Amino acid sequence: MTPIDRRLVTHFNWSLAGLAFVLFAFGVANLYSASGFRMEEGLTLTSYYRKQLYWGSIGLGGMIASLLFDYRHLRTLAWPFFVATLSALLITLFWGKTIMGAKRWMDLGLFHFQASEFAKISLLILMAKLLSMEHEKLGWKKLFSFGGIGIFPVVLIMKQPDLGSALSLLLLMGGMIIFRGVKGPVLKGLTVAVPALLPLGWFLLHDYQRQRIMGFLNPGGDPFGAGYHIIQSQIAVGSGQLWGRGFLEGTQSQLRFLPEKHTDFALAVFGEEWGFVGCVLLLFLFSAFLLSIVRTTAEAKDGFGSFLAAGIFFYFFWQIFINMGMVLGLMPVVGIPLPFISYGGTSTVVNFCLTGLALNVSMRRFFFKKS
Amino acid sequence: MQLLVLGLFLIFVLRLWYLQIHKGQEFADKAENNRIRLHQVHAPRGLIRDRHGVLLAVNEPAYALAIVREDSKDIPNALLHVSQWLNLDLSQLHETFDKGRARIKRFEPQILIPSLTFAQLAVIEANTLSWPELKIVTKPRRSYPQGPLLAHVIGYVAEANEDEMNNDPELSLGDSVGKKGIEYTMEKRLRGKKGLRQVDVDAAGRQLGANMLIPPQVGSDVRLSIDLELQGFIDEQMKEHVGSVIVLETDTGQVLALVSKPSFDNNLFVSGLSHSDWAIMRDDPAHPLQNRAIQSAYPPGSVFKLVVAGCALTERVATPGDRVFCPGGFQLGNRLFRCWERRGHGVVDMNRGLVESCDTFFYTMGDKLGVDRMYPCAVQSGFGRPTGIDLPHESPGLVPSREWKKQRFNDNWYRGENLNMAIGQGFMLTTPLQVARYNAALVNGGRLLKPQLLADAEPDEQARLPLSDSHRDFLVQTMVDTVEGSRGTGRRIALKGIRLGAKTGTAQVVKLMAEYDKKALKDIPYQFRDHAWMTSFGEKNGRRYSVVAMIEHGGGGGAAAGPIIKAVYEHLFAEELQ
Repeated sequence: MTPIDRRLVTHFNWSLAGLAFVLFAFGVANLYSASGFRMEEGLTLTSYYRKQLYWGSIGLGGMIASLLFDYRHLRTLAWPFFVATLSALLITLFWGKTIMGAKRWMDLGLFHFQASEFAKISLLILMAKLLSMEHEKLGWKKLFSFGGIGIFPVVLIMKQPDLGSALSLLLLMGGMIIFRGVKGPVLKGLTVAVPALLPLGWFLLHDYQRQRIMGFLNPGGDPFGAGYHIIQSQIAVGSGQLWGRGFLEGTQSQLRFLPEKHTDFALAVFGEEWGFVGCVLLLFLFSAFLLSIVRTTAEAKDGFGSFLAAGIFFYFFWQIFINMGMVLGLMPVVGIPLPFISYGGTSTVVNFCLTGLALNVSMRRFFFKKS
Repeated sequence: MQLLVLGLFLIFVLRLWYLQIHKGQEFADKAENNRIRLHQVHAPRGLIRDRHGVLLAVNEPAYALAIVREDSKDIPNALLHVSQWLNLDLSQLHETFDKGRARIKRFEPQILIPSLTFAQLAVIEANTLSWPELKIVTKPRRSYPQGPLLAHVIGYVAEANEDEMNNDPELSLGDSVGKKGIEYTMEKRLRGKKGLRQVDVDAAGRQLGANMLIPPQVGSDVRLSIDLELQGFIDEQMKEHVGSVIVLETDTGQVLALVSKPSFDNNLFVSGLSHSDWAIMRDDPAHPLQNRAIQSAYPPGSVFKLVVAGCALTERVATPGDRVFCPGGFQLGNRLFRCWERRGHGVVDMNRGLVESCDTFFYTMGDKLGVDRMYPCAVQSGFGRPTGIDLPHESPGLVPSREWKKQRFNDNWYRGENLNMAIGQGFMLTTPLQVARYNAALVNGGRLLKPQLLADAEPDEQARLPLSDSHRDFLVQTMVDTVEGSRGTGRRIALKGIRLGAKTGTAQVVKLMAEYDKKALKDIPYQFRDHAWMTSFGEKNGRRYSVVAMIEHGGGGGAAAGPIIKAVYEHLFAEELQ
């Protein structure tokens, strides 16, 4: 444990921490609206917003824990973490709990544990370590060896099947690699190869996943099947108009036409009740949050810290981008939650931990000691 | 990266502007009209008929009580009222509700009580106005007009359990699924495809109109090979006996009757058997749920002598003319294997050995053949493996072998065991259906056919008996002699004008103690009496049948089973006999 240094406090990034809590507060208020009238939940479940508060407090603990130590210790832990996550994923695959046809959860008695969330953290740390050791832009060989490492968790998560998480992992890795920079020919090669490989991915998808993509391309084709989510969430958001219907007043969400309204489609509830004004404010908060992390990448005192912050940036950026794109009908339905807004135990804790890690990098930016 | 954030901000602000400002009014109107729900419509299950078209399984309308969670302001209160109206256990209702809730989509009615009596229906109808979340759902319910008479063949449907729903995405909570018998094996054919109905509701969940989007598809009907009239006749003849009777058409393998006694009422299972009823049935010492024709395996006793005789001929261990002297038993080392006829049969050839069922003759055959030659013969004759009839949980029976004994008991095969095996005792176990199929093959040209329960099924030849034509004819003739000969064990079934053949058998339950040895059957306690076998065939005007009866604790083969078999042939050939 690092001895308390006054600079740690003076350099604490209050705005980043504050933004995370404001976003979380928005999320809980929104969940209150989304779950407030679920009388039937009263039988066995506490309401979602309460559970989310409970997860938030665990997340706060995780955030504090993630900024107390010097983040450089993570370098030595990168590989053990990664191997541990892979084992957890394997265990989930064989002995996991099946909910709605997918094996994503490990039953730990008190709660269900989603190993794929932790795969994101450990891959992020490992990539930051590996990329910070590179002194020049990446060639083909490095690209493939890094990709080869990352493909293990991706494949295991695809098997669950959890397309959303697998995709986030790929995008996270891709973002970090591009941030490091690749050599000219590699970049040209990739711009040709990736679009060419996309159709191949079609054959790897499950039927329901293909249906979602077809539903996105032509939502009217099957309004009660594949296109249902897309049409319903656009109706909800659109009917919010400029000022929104007001807190707890959303008819679409209260009448429960909206599917998954407390998880992946939480933004639709928000959009309906707070309108264009509220949504733009939320977007503004997200942008400020992301920019604050971007600043951390530039200020970090070493490569490792910089790559860690970059990874955290991409972790949040892609989730926000994909989730909003999906709810607003710009992208096919992929099960990716909106950070701090969607309900979800593991992901809330992970979001706070990663924010903590970014704060960790940020507040140690004036340590010049080389390690 | 700043550019990425800027891009994100701009794209979504533009998109939000488009959705909420530019098209906002349009979506607000849509939201107002967005009151459509989708409900599943149950498809009626296919009907089951007998070979002449008589209905054996039908669908009746049944009323179920369901709850729509989304329409309820206070579910515990609603459940409390239901329990009060119907005088039901509240915790039971909560349990049903909690168990099912995860499987129900939003706005779908979740069934709480699968079938309501008319009295219950009236009480609920009177109260539903103030409880919009409670709905009466009509759905077809299976009913079996014949009840116990065909329960073992038809089986039953009951509510799908957790495993079945997990394995079959088409099943949802409260659906019926075949659990036993034909209902189970023909599930895919009988089950229809559910339809989808669009229901328009107002903000309170009340229904305004409905529109069928996908009409339900009725399941296909199934016509069984069973002759209901014959089945009923045999059932009557069985009286209080415990056991089974099978009638096969020898040339097609079609099962005309399959009776197992005692039986149970399969209707009881459809609307859910209470735990105590289930326990009573399960613990009944007579095991009414057991289909004795295919699930019970017994020592074949002397019936197996036909197989051993055939094996001896094929393996050239004996010819029909070879003789054996029967002094009343077979001496092996210091042990005497007794013939049932203590006084001895004297000089016996194979024909007499079968007709009078001389044990000594077959001890000699068994000793010469050995298990290594009897085992493959028995397996090729269809024993020791399921017949493949379209019913679940068929027993394969058991044909012992040297390897099997080593594995099972870690012991060698002893010479004396060859003798026991040759008279169908020891480890040998066969089901009545295996015997009936073997018997059919003897008279149909040696073809072992799959016993067919569907009227439209083509004959399915699975194997051939390991017998030459002349040897098979010889065995058939001994069966005829067993009925027609004055000392044949099957003489009591003889019918004028019908070509009948038979073989009796006794499956020992326990080695009878000396004290019972000479007693009359009625003086032996029921549970110590032997099982009685009789296998037979009958032929007239090109119609040929194989009939097998197995009467548990019936004592000697011919005495208990004979009258039943005779009655079956009188019934089958009623026209010819007039």
